Amino acid sequence: MRLEMGHIYIKDIQFAAESKIEDGILYVSEEAVKAVALEDEKIKSVSFDIAKPGESVRITPVKDVIEPRVKVEGRGGIFPGVIAKVDTVGEGKTYALKGMAVVTAGKIVGFQEGIIDMTGPGADYTPFSQTLNLVMVCEPVDGIKQHDYEKAVRFAGFRVAVYLGELARNLTPDETKVYETCTIKEGMEKYPNLPRVAYVQMLQSQGLLHDTYVYGVDAKKIVPTIMSPTEIMDGAIVSGNCVSACDKNPTYVHLNNPVVHDMFEQHGKTFNFVCHIITNENVYLADKQRSSDWTAKLCKMLDLDGVIVSQEGFGNPDTDLIMNCKKIEAEGVKTVIITDEYAGRDGKSQSLADSDPAADAVVTGGNANQVIILPKLDKVIGTLDYVTKIAGASEETLREDGSLEVELQVLTGATNETGFNKLSAR
Amino acid sequence: MAKLKVVHYINQFFAQIGGEEKADYPAEIRVGEVVGPGAALTQQFGDDAEIVATIVCGDSYFNENLEKAKADILAMVKEQAPDVFVAGPAFNAGRYGVACGTIAAAVQEELGIPAVTGMYVENPGADMFKTHVYIVSTKNNAAGMRDAVKKLAPLAVKVGKGEAIGSSAEEGYIPNGVRVNFFEKERGSLRAVKMLLKKLADKPFETEFPMPDFDRVEPNPAVKDIAHAKIALVTSGGIVPKGNPDHIESSSASHYGEYDIAGVMDLTEATYETAHGGYDPVYANEDSDRVLPVDVLREMEKEGKIGELHHLFYTTVGNGTAVASSKAFAAEFSAKLKADGVDAVILTST
Amino acid sequence: MKNYIIITNNPLVPTKLEDDSAVIYQDISYEDVLLHVRDRIHEGHRLLSHPLSGSVKPNETPYKSVMISVGKGEMDEGSLSIIENAIQACGKFVFRSDKYKPEVYDDFQLIDWTLIQSAIASADVL
Repeated sequence: MRLEMGHIYIKDIQFAAESKIEDGILYVSEEAVKAVALEDEKIKSVSFDIAKPGESVRITPVKDVIEPRVKVEGRGGIFPGVIAKVDTVGEGKTYALKGMAVVTAGKIVGFQEGIIDMTGPGADYTPFSQTLNLVMVCEPVDGIKQHDYEKAVRFAGFRVAVYLGELARNLTPDETKVYETCTIKEGMEKYPNLPRVAYVQMLQSQGLLHDTYVYGVDAKKIVPTIMSPTEIMDGAIVSGNCVSACDKNPTYVHLNNPVVHDMFEQHGKTFNFVCHIITNENVYLADKQRSSDWTAKLCKMLDLDGVIVSQEGFGNPDTDLIMNCKKIEAEGVKTVIITDEYAGRDGKSQSLADSDPAADAVVTGGNANQVIILPKLDKVIGTLDYVTKIAGASEETLREDGSLEVELQVLTGATNETGFNKLSAR
Repeated sequence: MAKLKVVHYINQFFAQIGGEEKADYPAEIRVGEVVGPGAALTQQFGDDAEIVATIVCGDSYFNENLEKAKADILAMVKEQAPDVFVAGPAFNAGRYGVACGTIAAAVQEELGIPAVTGMYVENPGADMFKTHVYIVSTKNNAAGMRDAVKKLAPLAVKVGKGEAIGSSAEEGYIPNGVRVNFFEKERGSLRAVKMLLKKLADKPFETEFPMPDFDRVEPNPAVKDIAHAKIALVTSGGIVPKGNPDHIESSSASHYGEYDIAGVMDLTEATYETAHGGYDPVYANEDSDRVLPVDVLREMEKEGKIGELHHLFYTTVGNGTAVASSKAFAAEFSAKLKADGVDAVILTST
Repeated sequence: MKNYIIITNNPLVPTKLEDDSAVIYQDISYEDVLLHVRDRIHEGHRLLSHPLSGSVKPNETPYKSVMISVGKGEMDEGSLSIIENAIQACGKFVFRSDKYKPEVYDDFQLIDWTLIQSAIASADVL
């Protein structure tokens, strides 16, 4: 499968009468994006705002972060089975608006979601302090159930991102990258002497605000399967989770999955990047057993020599991570796992809730319990009303001088377990 | 800012007094002197710190006169009131490493003066003291002095100033079980790809999070004829004859005890107690059979359920005791148990 | 008759199930729910759902629901290892589940319910 990714660098975002991209500036018609968001009758009102790197702005409670893209050539469209109709994606030509993101925010339950600080110490930890953010805060109609509200916000974000992506359809990309994978047989013939490797991605799949969707399918209901690594670049996987935001993958991370991209760099050089294997992290233990049996089985059937396994979340997924690692290693496939840690505020507690000697090659995204003081910032997009209830915070979070004492847990993407950041721990 | 005051501890060898034949050299302080590796440290300290005194002590002297040596050296250090105490580096010298760890930990814990030391990761002192003081990781011999001092001096200055200490990867100390965040140069996914390439090529790689130590011991096959077996009792629960005659420490035990229970039918409050400092001792002191079940085994002996109860039991305190020490204790008394024809051991913990 | 039992301190759980005979509700702490589950595992019940389900950590949410088997057998080592690790994990999070505004507790209950509901969906297939 061959996908050409065209990058269009966005240098600034401004509200304007007409939506367009000109000379790297994204002009957004507030009226137009509002109309796109309000297509869903479950959303009563929506407000848009712009947050730029370095500004004294705090965005919270963050639900998702999305990079606008448009499918220019080839099968399907962005977010298949969710926004575009179901069709296999990952080949042809896709453009992405680089350097910016759509951020959705809003209260769904009274505790949840993350913080993005555009400046100060928090900005060092969340990767989304580096993007120009178009933030949309959605208010639901009265009496709506949380499930419906969550879904409405999730879809509204995708619609707005797709709307913005469409503005780039007829532009010339600033930069083009080509990602190409082979079929099983082609790969064997083309790279007979290179080790065969794959990426095993574990997806959150536990319940409300803990879900992920693959081509629109709730990941709880999948059995592990294989994908072409280019499919995610067209939005094959989207986020429906944000609780304890530090180690959850917003849709932006799925689209730009760093393991996929860094493995592509080596493809055909030091190894043959055979495929992307996805699996889930269900609550029910028999599901865990089935899924980990299957990932190991797929690794064996594909004659892999090595895999990188990435986790999403804490606790329950620790068990899936170790089951996957143990079973894949037992098939003779060399495994590196990426996780993060909950070692307590003092760093002295056992980091993971499960462990095994087979997990001898671990990359860590850092200790999510580390305490950080976030100074008061000039502007809040969203509301601080719920800041005291996000995972990793409490009513004591808000200090007298307006600063927040929180754990890294609350910062969107801070200890990401796909290796999105440079943060680590020893 | 004034230079930090440093007291430096070294052994007889690094003070160029002599080798093993001089290892009984008692502790002495040389005020105002920089001795041996102190010169390299001084150079590395630059304007940040200076050695105000050097303490020299023979390795055998220290380890054989532990309490006295420790007390004497602590008094010497206290007198100088330094900002920071540096011991070693000890490289792979076992007794020197234990001495450096012991005295650095004591200075820090008893005098409240920050301390650092350095040694090779396999030095027994490393395992025993890495959670007590920062131990810079060095090569396994003194050829690594330059490299060791480069890490030891800046770390000493940092702890002396009370500055925040970074992760083991940044500062160069042996991981001490406390996880510290820091920013790597490359993102995690790239680090994972590089680690995988090394693993695929069977090259050495370093995990960022070592799994907890798994020292799994396969259980022995079941005892076939328990009714005729000789059973011994071993415990890490600290049960000792009343008064703790061998002074087994309440934590980080340095030795174990061997006691004769020939004719003892029951451990009573008057005769036995626990030396353990890691759990509420009330119930063990009331009735030590709760930890070391002599009474029950005597009954079973009488009923013919077991052959006999071995007349010696072995005991130590598991509380904070280094794995390396525990292994050494067990290796020693297991040989004795075997020589005494013991068929099976009941090992009790707390 | 279900082949599972749900041990919970979440008052929402019994009200959500038509047949609440499978639910043992107690007004106890998160950690006590885990301890109760551990005792059941000692008796020979098997763990059916992961005790650390959800991203809101122990001591951050007050509610926990865990599914175990009705049937008893030999003590299951795998179940014991998971529950022991979960109990140990409770200690590392700062206790703050009594520090929220009242309305937040309803949301915690809802999330806990959706987590156990996903286990029920899997279990009811059998």
